[in-house]
Amino acid sequence: MNFLKLVQGVVGEENATSDRAICASYSRDQHWHFVPAKNPAFVVRPGDKEEVREVLVLANREKVPVVPYSTGINVRGLAIPVHEGSVLLDLSRMNRILEVNPEMKTATVEPGVTFGMLLEETRKHKLRPAFPDAPLTVSVLVNYYLRGIYQTSAADGHDHTLSYEMILPNGETLKTGSRSLSEMPYFRYGVGPDFTGVFSAHPGTCGVVTELTAKLYRLYDNRKVYFVGFDEVGAATKVIYNLMNDELAASIRLVDNQSWLKGICGTFDFPYEELPKFVLCVLVEGVDGIFEAKAKLVQEYLADSADSADSADSGGTGGRVLEFPAEFARTFEEESLGGAEKSCMVFGLQGRGNYHCIGLYGPLTLAAEYYALHEKTALEVGIPQDHVHFYIDPIYSFHGQLCYFELDVFYDGSEPGAGEKLRNYNAKQFQRLLDLGIYGWFRPYAGIIEPTVERIGHLAEVWKKFLRVLDPNEIMNRGKLL
Amino acid sequence: MGQEREEILSAIQHCVKCKLCSIANFHPAEEWQPLCPSGEFYGYQAFYAPGKLEIFREILEGGLTESSEGLLKSVYACTLCGACYEKCRQVTSVEMRLPELFEELRGELVRKGWSLSVHREIAEKIKETRNAYGERQKYRDGAKSTNENAEVLYFIGCTARYRVPEIADAMLEIFDKLGIKYQVLGEEWCCGSVLLRTGQVEAAKELVAHNSEVIKNSGAKTVVFTCPGCLNTFKKNYPELGVELVHSTQFLAGLGEGEGGSDGDESSGGGLEVKKLGMAVAYHDPCHLGRDLGIYEEPRAVLKEVAGEKVKEMKREREQAWCCGSGGGVKSAFDEFALWCAGERVKEARAAGAEALVSACPFCKRNLKEAAEREAEEREETEKEGEEKEGKGMKIYDVVELVSKGLEGRRK
Ligand SMILES: Cc1cc2nc3c(=O)[nH]c(=O)nc-3n(C[C@H](O)[C@H](O)[C@H](O)COP(=O)(O)OP(=O)(O)OC[C@H]3O[C@@H](n4cnc5c(N)ncnc54)[C@H](O)[C@@H]3O)c2cc1C
Ligand code: SF4
Ligand code: SF4
Repeated sequence: MNFLKLVQGVVGEENATSDRAICASYSRDQHWHFVPAKNPAFVVRPGDKEEVREVLVLANREKVPVVPYSTGINVRGLAIPVHEGSVLLDLSRMNRILEVNPEMKTATVEPGVTFGMLLEETRKHKLRPAFPDAPLTVSVLVNYYLRGIYQTSAADGHDHTLSYEMILPNGETLKTGSRSLSEMPYFRYGVGPDFTGVFSAHPGTCGVVTELTAKLYRLYDNRKVYFVGFDEVGAATKVIYNLMNDELAASIRLVDNQSWLKGICGTFDFPYEELPKFVLCVLVEGVDGIFEAKAKLVQEYLADSADSADSADSGGTGGRVLEFPAEFARTFEEESLGGAEKSCMVFGLQGRGNYHCIGLYGPLTLAAEYYALHEKTALEVGIPQDHVHFYIDPIYSFHGQLCYFELDVFYDGSEPGAGEKLRNYNAKQFQRLLDLGIYGWFRPYAGIIEPTVERIGHLAEVWKKFLRVLDPNEIMNRGKLL
Repeated sequence: MGQEREEILSAIQHCVKCKLCSIANFHPAEEWQPLCPSGEFYGYQAFYAPGKLEIFREILEGGLTESSEGLLKSVYACTLCGACYEKCRQVTSVEMRLPELFEELRGELVRKGWSLSVHREIAEKIKETRNAYGERQKYRDGAKSTNENAEVLYFIGCTARYRVPEIADAMLEIFDKLGIKYQVLGEEWCCGSVLLRTGQVEAAKELVAHNSEVIKNSGAKTVVFTCPGCLNTFKKNYPELGVELVHSTQFLAGLGEGEGGSDGDESSGGGLEVKKLGMAVAYHDPCHLGRDLGIYEEPRAVLKEVAGEKVKEMKREREQAWCCGSGGGVKSAFDEFALWCAGERVKEARAAGAEALVSACPFCKRNLKEAAEREAEEREETEKEGEEKEGKGMKIYDVVELVSKGLEGRRK
């Protein structure tokens, strides 16, 4: 019996297809300049984890490559097949919120649950997930499993996954954290090593995660927003340091005035070009008493910074508190603590429409150097300076002055030569950043992982062997590591 | 090809596959509300806007060389409602004009001979009978225009002529009650909308030429449409006819202009003397009227004259209204999907506290009514099984029906 008939026997005829047009609709994502279009041979839409297991076992037996796909919005070509004859496992039908537990401040979700869907439920309990600055249509489970970046609510820190359940190609189930020991999936470090961490954030996947338990965070009624302008990146870092050191703000983002700020403010229609080049967006929240104290301190820091700007006929580089229309603050609040819809989607500026970025972790101390390198490399490869954008997001609890940096280019993907310029940019920039020093990449995707594994010594070998243990037939979307 | 290949590919390259076009604005209500009927019903990526764009690319680049069931379904089971386009431009500021791209895609399929037999049959019917339903009798056989040279011409359209004549009846009654002289065309042919929307562009040319000719010769200055699909086709696909083209609700709202409407507003519907109906109603924005033509306020203003404060807004409305499910050739080809879609709208109206769901389009009315009747039947069955359900069957109207019911004349 052919593979299609076999899987149709598992998921039903209407949920598995080899139709070329249906397959073509999964062939490309926004990263197509780097990951070329490729059709899966089959698309299968299981309805529950038992169906996932049966499909995996069949694929393993027949050595059919498997590409799990939860919402498919990853913008790095991660769910685009690499091999001929792949089966794309579209998990979007599995979209149940299995539990929202207000006492434990946790939620357990299936792969098809999006941030929007989850917030709709959790807000009933005055709770929210930690949000990436990604469209709220993306999968919560995958975002956490890939270990995303949560700049909209930086105070939440970095790791939001407590435990999960993953089905391996041989049909076995792995449970991580306390999930492996009991019915209580609420603790990450159940037995021995941090398996929750070890199995996640690969350039691809080891198995199919079918449910994941994540932390939830409080939604506060008290909120206040500040916008402060700076002419240089370096000048903003002192204020960022103070705000981080005293753990004052829920969200702190430094963006340039021509990019993400427009989404944060929620409108394209404002003379942003008249603002200082960089704008620090700060959101303070908390319970009564603590909130007022935090807001007071933040105001003082910002006022200090503004004073140093005044004294600066002087060359002083302090900030300028910006007065914006009230709805700008409202959008910033909504999108930071309720899921991003506009704030991450601004690259349509002047009809350009496409977005390229190198996302990396590094210390705040190198902020100005990362930016300078971004401008320099872009210039060298012929990317216009007005296409060059920048983003800093410091992350609590700020050990190592941990920040997420985004070196962005907003471009018109249909322009001839655009892809080549970006590829040249990447080739130079990956090496330069590694030379300058970074903590790590946002995600290990195609193109970025190759020059990196060269530098990690024996760890690379161990990593590859580890993946082979879980997936000896190499059927999973191993992506680009092997 | 209407648009150049490079232009189309360029538009396709701008889609980042964020899929925000599949839901209505999340903020400030923070509710997850689907927006794309075809994606929501069928599930595969091919049925959402970003997936369809990839299929189009694959065809243009020569990767798809044969028709298939999945191709025809994903391309034609889209109501061309334009909700994806409105949402996309709002969040990205990129003008992808998705429904136009999808129409181009259909045109490309038809040129390759990849079309649905049911759509080809409609073209045959139109060729034979000049209407989309293949009907041979005439609407109100023997009914005459009140005045063959009247300045107002009512273009009835196939659906109001042959499937929901109560809308045409209501419109004529309104003219009569208001003492407005009107004419209807003895030789009104299908406007061509269904052919154009299904990619059968060539077949529509004869219809456009005929209707243009008879309207030019009619001496009319204003053409009134109760069908937004016809109106949109006249505006988009017809040559300039030198006449004013208006929707019934614009026409009625315009009667108040300069005469001081009930709230002193222009285009308010305030020129009508209407008895209030005392029924809570929700207004459904027809896609062609709202998203295509930008007409959102006039129908609401006219409805307010009839229902007063009892007009309820549904959660998805105006640019982000949920489609009724019948447009783009879907009703004829994928009736189950069309009815599901309308059923969702009926539920939404009920949740808004409405007793009646009111549209301004014969096509919407027909589909919503069928869905409401089906729902009522199902309800009866479950009630028999002892499971009480809240509320009664939803009533479905067109705005002009409610106006004609309550109309007492022109406001002095
Ligand atoms: C405009 C924009 C901005 C963004 N900004 C951010 C940001 O600020 N921070 C951030 O974190 N992310 C950001 N993202 C990326 C986004 O968060 C990712 O899309 C998301 O993390 C996961 O993508 P997805 O759900 O669509 O996963 P998919 O595309 O479905 O899958 C991604 C990868 O995970 C694998 N996978 C999918 N499902 C499973 C499963 N159940 N088990 C195992 N493996 C699986 C796939 O094979 C693939 O390798 C942004 C995206 C966009 C479009
Ligand atoms: S059409 Fe627009 S909103 Fe939809 S996926 Fe593409 S870019 Fe996103
Ligand atoms: S036009 Fe309507 S049905 Fe078609 S893809 Fe867009 S939102 Fe979906």
